[in-house]
Amino acid sequence: MGVKVLLVDDEVDYINSLSKQLKVRKFEVTAVNNGDEAIKSVGQSSFDVIILDVLMPGKDGIQTFEEIKRIDPTVQVIMHTGHAKMDLAINGLKSGIYDYIIKPVDINELVEKINLAYENKTITTKPI
Amino acid sequence: MFRKIESKTPQQAEYVDSHSKNEGMDQFFRRLRLKLTLGLLAAFVLPYGTLTLFFNFQFSSVLNETGKLHLVSLSESQRNTVDLFLQERVINLFGLFHRQEFNLSPGSTEMEMLLTVLRQANSTFVDLGFLNERGIQIGYSGPHAILHNKDYSNEAWFNTLMTQKKDYHITDIYLGFRNKPHFTIAVKKLINDEYYIIRTTLEPDQFYHFLQTINQSQGVESLLINNKGIYQVVGPKTGKPFQKSESLPDRHKSSYIREIKRDGDTILIAHSWLKETNWVLIVRQPLEVAYARMYTTMRIITLLLTLILLFFAGVIFFTTNKLISYAQDASQKKDEMRLQLVHATKLASIGEMSAGIAHEINNPLAIITATSGVIRDFFNPEFQLEWTPDDIGNELDILNAAVFRVKAITSKLLDFGRKNEPRLIYSDLNHILNDVINGLIEREFKVVDINFVRKYDHDIPKISVDPDQIGQVFMNLVNNAGDAIEGPGTITITTKQEGGMIKIIVTDTGSGMSIDQLKQIFIPFYTSKEVGKGTGLGLGISLNIIESMGGTIDVQSMEGKGSSFMISLPISDKN
Repeated sequence: MGVKVLLVDDEVDYINSLSKQLKVRKFEVTAVNNGDEAIKSVGQSSFDVIILDVLMPGKDGIQTFEEIKRIDPTVQVIMHTGHAKMDLAINGLKSGIYDYIIKPVDINELVEKINLAYENKTITTKPI
Repeated sequence: MFRKIESKTPQQAEYVDSHSKNEGMDQFFRRLRLKLTLGLLAAFVLPYGTLTLFFNFQFSSVLNETGKLHLVSLSESQRNTVDLFLQERVINLFGLFHRQEFNLSPGSTEMEMLLTVLRQANSTFVDLGFLNERGIQIGYSGPHAILHNKDYSNEAWFNTLMTQKKDYHITDIYLGFRNKPHFTIAVKKLINDEYYIIRTTLEPDQFYHFLQTINQSQGVESLLINNKGIYQVVGPKTGKPFQKSESLPDRHKSSYIREIKRDGDTILIAHSWLKETNWVLIVRQPLEVAYARMYTTMRIITLLLTLILLFFAGVIFFTTNKLISYAQDASQKKDEMRLQLVHATKLASIGEMSAGIAHEINNPLAIITATSGVIRDFFNPEFQLEWTPDDIGNELDILNAAVFRVKAITSKLLDFGRKNEPRLIYSDLNHILNDVINGLIEREFKVVDINFVRKYDHDIPKISVDPDQIGQVFMNLVNNAGDAIEGPGTITITTKQEGGMIKIIVTDTGSGMSIDQLKQIFIPFYTSKEVGKGTGLGLGISLNIIESMGGTIDVQSMEGKGSSFMISLPISDKN
């Protein structure tokens, strides 16, 4: 079973292409277009890593992140954003975001970050 | 409660075409120059002219009066001299009664001697006669020997002398027995209860000669007429004795002056009535001669006043010209300054928007990387993917779309950043508003949940504006509105026509402003934004642009509820 990844971004073309790339790299990918759908998805099934866009119409990345963490505190969130509002992402890091990555992204870098996040999840959630 | 601050427009500046600066401004300054010059000239010339006219009038009337008074007094003094002359002649005659040579039946020798005595007193005596009270000339000496023993009892002068109380009589000019113009002076004296008369005659030529000698004034002619207007003593140019003069003198005034016009010349005529006879002494002087000095003075004064007038007019013209060209320069510099400021603000807004622009560009770039990655994966033997040319084509379409998204953004940016020459274009403000909002701003605001609501009046008339400058004003207001909103919010843009003005209202649901902030927002370099996010020039330059179009910006704000900026622009007659 591959790592379960949730992609959240309002750019449809972007998450479609990103999904394709991640799928051929054996990730289990779910893609949604906004914060509310992301929260709904997290409520329905469990994910290992969430790639979350910061600037979205409706709920923005930070708000979405906070709600997701309430539902599933173990999920690892990587903030994904264009250059703008980087300060928001950094603030997010302080409040429990695992990592951030700036668009445009190299697929290998992203894969590496997802794997690290997944490792982090398995370490932090492994029963002692 | 809403607080309201109105931007002040110091003067409702005439709308100045910054575009057709050379025509519009020049025309404006030409009119200003004309107005100023005429105004100053009027302000100077009116009081100066009035004063000059008043002075001239006063001066000439004083001179006029003086000239007349002078002539009247001349006539009076000559009249007195003539009166004195006649009195002296009468006294000369009376003196004869007391001479040793005098007796009641004088022979020719005695008469000769008496005439010699008379002529010693004055050479004008022509002859001498001695009459008894019956009018018989019993003694005579002089050139007309036939007059000896002549009977004068029917002569007018004799009867007048004998019947009147006064004991002497001076006649008007007449011909008499000698048939020659002459005056008779006769005196009577009672001797042994019987009257005796001594008479003498004067010739008009000699009388005229006498008048000439007492008349020293230049251009003045003196003459004598009797109360019926008959010339008594007159110069040959004016008339001859016995002729009737043109007008009868006024007996009721002892002396007076009048003006008559003859052949285009005005002549002053002074009259003085004699005391001894019913004659009036007339002194005539052409106005030109009488006022010759006055005219010279007037000419000098007029010349001086004209020179002063010309000097001041020159000074006014020169000063106004200089002033206007200063103003023109200053206005030109102000326009250039505004242009530079507009551009600076524009560049500043681009700087402020840079984060948003980067986001807008990075998104399609991310699509490009991801999609090209998908295609690369197709060819990666590691993944052993099956693909058709259509699959590749679909991915390429996505790539293409992303590239054009970036291109659209960069070209908008270039458009916006371009420094345009000032130009006036007959524009629809709704259209300019849309140009500003659509594109960068709306996309940027959408991701931070700011919605635009457009309440346009599509019937607002087009007006002549510089789309660049007015666009920058809209941009500043909309950007400010966006900055004022934290989280979701709405910017409402309203256009409408009201009372000859077009109003553009930008309302936000942002944080609003305190009174202190409101007071400062139009001050250059004032900003409530973080360092690097705002220059503090936006509203200042916006107000400057709007005021240069004769408009105003009004602000209403309420802390915690939002702000509303209203631009009012006049619908110019020029449109």
